[in-house]
Amino acid sequence: MSLVIDSISKEFGTVKALDNVSLEVEPGEVFGLLGANGAGKTTAMRIVLDILRPDSGTIAWNGESNRDLPRDTWGYLPEERGLYAKMKVREQLVFFAKLHGVRPKDAEREAGDWLERFRISDYADRRAEQLSKGNQQKVQFIAAILHDPDVLLMDEPFSGLDPVNVALLKEAFLEMRDRGKTLVFSTHQMETVEELCESIAILDRGRVVVGGSVRDVRRSTGRQVVRLAVQGDSEIPWLATLDGVRVTRRGQDYTEAVVTGGHDPEAVLRAALERDCRVLHFEITDPSLEEIFIEHVGQLDTSERTLAPKAVHA
Amino acid sequence: MNGWRTLFPNAWYIAVREYRGRVSSRSFVLGTVLLAAIAFAATQLPVLLDFVGGTSQTRVEILVKASGVPSDAPKVVDGVLNGAPAAGSNSHKAFALSWLAGGDLASAQSALEQGKFDALLVIDRDPTSRDLVFTLRTDMPSDGRQTQQIAGATQMLAIEDGLVRAGTSTASVLAPTNLQVLPVSSSGTATVHSVSQEISSTLLSTGLIVLIFMAIITYGTWVAMSVAEEKGSRVMELMLNATTPLQMLAGKVIGNGGAGLTQYGIILGAVVGGLGAQGPIHQAVLGSSSTDVPFGGLNAAVLGAFAVLFVLGFLLYSLLYAALGSLISRQEDVQSATSPLMMLIMIGYFLSIFGIQAINETWVKLFSFIPFFSPYLMLARVSVGHVEIWEFALAVVFLLVAIAIALVAAARIYSAGVLLYGQRTGLRQILRAARVSR
Repeated sequence: MSLVIDSISKEFGTVKALDNVSLEVEPGEVFGLLGANGAGKTTAMRIVLDILRPDSGTIAWNGESNRDLPRDTWGYLPEERGLYAKMKVREQLVFFAKLHGVRPKDAEREAGDWLERFRISDYADRRAEQLSKGNQQKVQFIAAILHDPDVLLMDEPFSGLDPVNVALLKEAFLEMRDRGKTLVFSTHQMETVEELCESIAILDRGRVVVGGSVRDVRRSTGRQVVRLAVQGDSEIPWLATLDGVRVTRRGQDYTEAVVTGGHDPEAVLRAALERDCRVLHFEITDPSLEEIFIEHVGQLDTSERTLAPKAVHA
Repeated sequence: MNGWRTLFPNAWYIAVREYRGRVSSRSFVLGTVLLAAIAFAATQLPVLLDFVGGTSQTRVEILVKASGVPSDAPKVVDGVLNGAPAAGSNSHKAFALSWLAGGDLASAQSALEQGKFDALLVIDRDPTSRDLVFTLRTDMPSDGRQTQQIAGATQMLAIEDGLVRAGTSTASVLAPTNLQVLPVSSSGTATVHSVSQEISSTLLSTGLIVLIFMAIITYGTWVAMSVAEEKGSRVMELMLNATTPLQMLAGKVIGNGGAGLTQYGIILGAVVGGLGAQGPIHQAVLGSSSTDVPFGGLNAAVLGAFAVLFVLGFLLYSLLYAALGSLISRQEDVQSATSPLMMLIMIGYFLSIFGIQAINETWVKLFSFIPFFSPYLMLARVSVGHVEIWEFALAVVFLLVAIAIALVAAARIYSAGVLLYGQRTGLRQILRAARVSR
């Protein structure tokens, strides 16, 4: 009962888009696929959907190959959003649902419900081209879930949404999870991953560099992070002199430092007390996903190396 | 393979969407209305010509001073100037003739001067030679068409007069001999063609071929446009997850073909309606009815062959249009991407236009079996020449086989092409992508 991606490789000409990628997503889980642009996230999703065929490797859901599974197993939100520009929103949603075998009546009702939830029922009878990008994106999300698929694959679902709509979409995500759906999505927003995902995988240039539950990934470095604030001293110059401690951030609110493996983070607190500091804030935590991501992938690379150029939305 | 699951109902949903989208588009509505209006107007052209021609009538008064003018003189002159009288017809006459037997030259002259007539023809007899002599008083040019026609009429009248005086008449001298024309084959079914029949069946055949030619180019381009549009707007990825390339192909071809047939139906309706309205309109405008509808050579066999070849030809070509449409990313590129196909269609068209003139040549027969050309050439042979049933059936079978092959190839190219984005897609990339695609 899980989504198993087993040793997938795919080349486009001389570019190795995916290199022996293996992943396992537990059913009912929210899974985050992280990676810089061009890391292979979109290719991986297309291969899972059987839109692309891998050069080698297999995909299975509940033990059944994705080549034999019915199409309505999957709900897909492509990175390049696209709707029929001249078609009315409701008509469009019903059309896509019908293609997945949903009865027109049910599709009509479900579409109405979701449009209501996303606060765009006023636009139901407008043509898609008349909607803002954010609203089009919400319509696209509805199109992906209207046929009640078991697995949802969403490519950058939060990009381009304002905070209100991000919150609406997160809510919908959690509801889908509560309904027992399995969600896989890719994103650059690490806070969203930490908030929503149980497990992640970080892809870099077609390879999985780290994967597993979010907690395990954060602990995998062996390092810990301490945050310290003391009264009357925002610099805390002595902190860098401690053994195994490296200051990573100095702020007015607190100073952050990494404590390498084998050293006790509580030694920092003891050192502060020995120096008669009044401690305002002390916290021990695991490194953030962002740190881990940067450590594995380098800085967030914004150069485009994806398969398709950005769409020109007509 | 997953991609080859059942075609319906998804292909049908796609076809309905394509059809609705196409038919409700502004370009379709405008184009159809415009073409129907043009078609209707074209059918009224004969009425218009009659109307324009009808306003000019040459009025001629004819004063007969000679004695012994043949009694059928008015009939002879009228026949030359106004053509043979159609039975029961009161159609428009180019010349209005008024005969003044034994009338007065002075009053005739004054009527002419008052402008009541355009010309005065005086018929007299030479006292010595006893031949008829004619005088024409008119301000019309002496070498003008009307004057020439009147000269022709006097010529006929002089001949008739001479023959009557010799004791015979034109009718008996010029009576046609009785020549019986039989077909080459002595079997009972063979019939002899007339020139007018041959001309009208050639015209009909050309017309039907042009209809197929236009439909394939126009509606085939629609298919390519609709594929390119889906790719350009990136709906394609959503569609790929919901359907199979084969379903999309079938839906697009059926939907756009249906929209094309709708447009054709409306235009043909305008033509038929226009032809039907020709009589009443003629009656209303000119106060008389005329014109016979030129439908010579149209029969059930030709119509049936046309329908079959129209549908199969469109299917074959539009599948290729869809495949080519899938290789480009923008609608603007449709024209250049489909130009090879355009060449093929043009070749078939010109072959058939030449073929009509040489319908019994071996190359025409040969090409009429080759799928890409058979929609034109087999149609030409059916409507102009003679085709055995098995020949037609064989061409249809070849067409069906070609369509099946095109379907498989197009679906492969399509499923590979729809995810390829970029300015140009080379043949090698297509083939490689087609090999690994589902």
